[in-house]
Amino acid sequence: MKIFFALFILIFLAFSGYHLTFRKIRLPLFARSFYLTGTEFLFLGLLLGPQFLNLLDNATCQGLAPLNALLLGWIGLLFGFQFEISRLRRFPLEYLAAGMIEGGATLLVIVGAAILLLSLLSFFGVYLPVSAVLCLGAAAVCTAQTGLALLAPEFVTRRSKLVQLLSYMSTMDSLLAVLIFGLAFFFRGNFEVGARPVAALALCGGLIVLYLLMTIRRCGDGELKLMVIGMTVLTSGAAAMLDFSPLISNAILGFGLVNFSRDKERIFQILLSIEKPVYLILLVFLGVGLRLDSAWALLLGTGLCVFRLVGKWAGGAASVLLIPQFRRYPRTLGFGLMDSGGLPLAILFDFQQRFSFSLLNDVVGTGLLAVILTNLLSPGLLGRLFKDTSNDTTGA
Amino acid sequence: MIRPVHKKEVLFSYLISILLLAALAVWLRGVDLSTGWKQAGWMNFSLGMVLLSAFLLAKVLTRVRLPLISGYIFAGILAGPYVTGFLTREMVSRLDLINDLALSFIALTAGATLDIRGFRGRGHLVAANLLLNIAVVFAVVCFFVMASGKWFGFTRQLSVMQLSALAVLLGTIAIARSPSSAIAIISECRARGPFTDMVLGVTIIIDVLIIILFSIALSVSRLLLSEAAGVDFGTLGVLGIEMIISLLLGAGFGVVISMYIRRAGHDLSLLLLIFGVAVTKISLWLGHFMEARFDMALHLEPLLICISAGFTVRQFSEAGREFLESLEKSALPIYVLFFTLAGAALNFNALGVCWMFAACLVLIRAAGLFGAAWAGMVVPGNASAHNSISWMAYLTQAGVSIGLAQIARRQAPEIGVYLTTVVLAVIAINQVAGPIVFKAALNKTGEARPEV
Repeated sequence: MKIFFALFILIFLAFSGYHLTFRKIRLPLFARSFYLTGTEFLFLGLLLGPQFLNLLDNATCQGLAPLNALLLGWIGLLFGFQFEISRLRRFPLEYLAAGMIEGGATLLVIVGAAILLLSLLSFFGVYLPVSAVLCLGAAAVCTAQTGLALLAPEFVTRRSKLVQLLSYMSTMDSLLAVLIFGLAFFFRGNFEVGARPVAALALCGGLIVLYLLMTIRRCGDGELKLMVIGMTVLTSGAAAMLDFSPLISNAILGFGLVNFSRDKERIFQILLSIEKPVYLILLVFLGVGLRLDSAWALLLGTGLCVFRLVGKWAGGAASVLLIPQFRRYPRTLGFGLMDSGGLPLAILFDFQQRFSFSLLNDVVGTGLLAVILTNLLSPGLLGRLFKDTSNDTTGA
Repeated sequence: MIRPVHKKEVLFSYLISILLLAALAVWLRGVDLSTGWKQAGWMNFSLGMVLLSAFLLAKVLTRVRLPLISGYIFAGILAGPYVTGFLTREMVSRLDLINDLALSFIALTAGATLDIRGFRGRGHLVAANLLLNIAVVFAVVCFFVMASGKWFGFTRQLSVMQLSALAVLLGTIAIARSPSSAIAIISECRARGPFTDMVLGVTIIIDVLIIILFSIALSVSRLLLSEAAGVDFGTLGVLGIEMIISLLLGAGFGVVISMYIRRAGHDLSLLLLIFGVAVTKISLWLGHFMEARFDMALHLEPLLICISAGFTVRQFSEAGREFLESLEKSALPIYVLFFTLAGAALNFNALGVCWMFAACLVLIRAAGLFGAAWAGMVVPGNASAHNSISWMAYLTQAGVSIGLAQIARRQAPEIGVYLTTVVLAVIAINQVAGPIVFKAALNKTGEARPEV
């Protein structure tokens, strides 16, 4: 009965919440960036969780585990739909290069910092698995277009090429992040590579063929909805059973569908129809698992945020210096890529579900705090970038 | 330009997909489920598997003119504990939430589909059908059980009183229908017309009346089994009050839903799903609460609440069409899961124990239905070509009958095992044959719309 009531509360919160959140309400900048990203649901989860009201206790959360995999699968499928090759190929190669340079630089900075931290921790007898470092690195590399989406339309028109570049780089950043996160599943111990995730990857290819076979006939909306739900649940379940990520498996599936299915537009609309409630439920679940019993998590979260800032700045500057076509942009280009969005939250949640070690909650808490802090800093830094950009009307 | 896909290609691709899914299930069954996350994964995988394979199998079986719900039921039987064992009994019971959700959803649809305007000028026909269906089916089944009690090894050891009690209860349970199957078939065939309206009306009204009839039958059987007991009129009174409260509560909810549609309207399908499950769970909780706190038995009927809510929205508000459309939008995944799980839950052990008795009972019930339905049309003076086929619409039986048998087993333990075994066996046959026969009837009346 408790599971039912928990589920009831979650769905109610998510669906009533998304009609209140994500709206352009005139709030101070600080509060707006908090409110528009639904971060308040994270704290709602914290309130409902074992630390305060205990409405969503550990047993209830375990009972709701199938829902968790579905949420991750849904987000993964949506993520995969971003990578329509024919659309991405319209952009010149230097865009891709810029995305990779910037993402790579951020990763290098974060991994470098993590290695330093690991050495320091091992000095005190505390050990973190490689997967934790990869997860935090992946979460730090992610960039969302939320900040860009909130810009005034006339502002976007005046600097359309810069906005286009930032949008493309954020998409590529996220791809890199998911690839890095995928690596985390291949390490069972510290350096022992598991075989099952390899099987899961191969399975994803088979599932794409399966779904294309099933949708060979143009089916009705109800039938397509059934297939989308069925395939998301099935892929998530198979991935979880094979020690792999439901998020990544469904992202691969989404990639396959957007490039090969003739129903891609309709599937995308179905996915989009509950995207925001799904995201809000994910935030609530993350909040439930958030542990704020250690001041270290706060310190490490702030540290991760600072390293991310440095990484993004360095990556942006490297792209401007190394790619001649982008030399007209300021070296603070990376400031436009600070917004983390929902993907790092999904990565952290996926990590929390699959992995188990003593410092798991601290790692996830650190990642979460870093995401919240960067989302708060993002609007100011984006404004700084646009200030640095000369006010030319050529569309830069 | 996209090349049109030939029907044979679609069939072939569906068959290949089913084989691929089966191969995947066989492979993943060998994976160890040592952690909670993996067990959740298995649950998700099974759900996805059931949803997709049942849908595909049902689509393939439509080529041999089987209704979709028969396909879902066959898929459930195949996946269930008696054939492949992919869905274990434990897993089926863990998916109870889906059953609750589906039943409430189907009850809402039943209430919303019941259109009293369709009965205008035909009220006497509905009343005659109702009365005769109840009287004839009960009498025929009751007589058969009494008369044949000594022929079957299954019932030979029962005393006359025990056999009489069994006859009364089986006769009453034989009256019960399956509104969920009826709604699913009507929805699949997109059937509209006087025959469809009447069948739906009779099925839903019987679904309401059966609860009262069953309580009376239970009192009578207790009287037969124990000389000290008598007919408990107090219980019947409480039952009546519970039903009235349920109907009024449902009507109240219906008004609230209508207001929501008029004022907000978004996410209606989801709201209705939540409403359906909430009604079921809160009714259960309230029953336990009243019993524990006030030593008072108040059991609200969730299905009656949902039927009443659906009926109120459809008949007494302007939001009826939007409401029904919203229900139809979410119907497919719910029907697929519900009927597949129903197929997986069919008890073939019971069928094995008393298959001869069950088969005879199915035939006798069908004969009773034929007589009642034919007389129900002819006696009020309705000369129609459909008179001889209307019985075909009433064959299906499902959850309500099982529920009644379970209650009877607890209340009358002397004959409880016999009763549940026979009821489960009869349902196993009727649930497979019923939808096929009903679809054929709708096709014969011409009220089923051709497939696009």
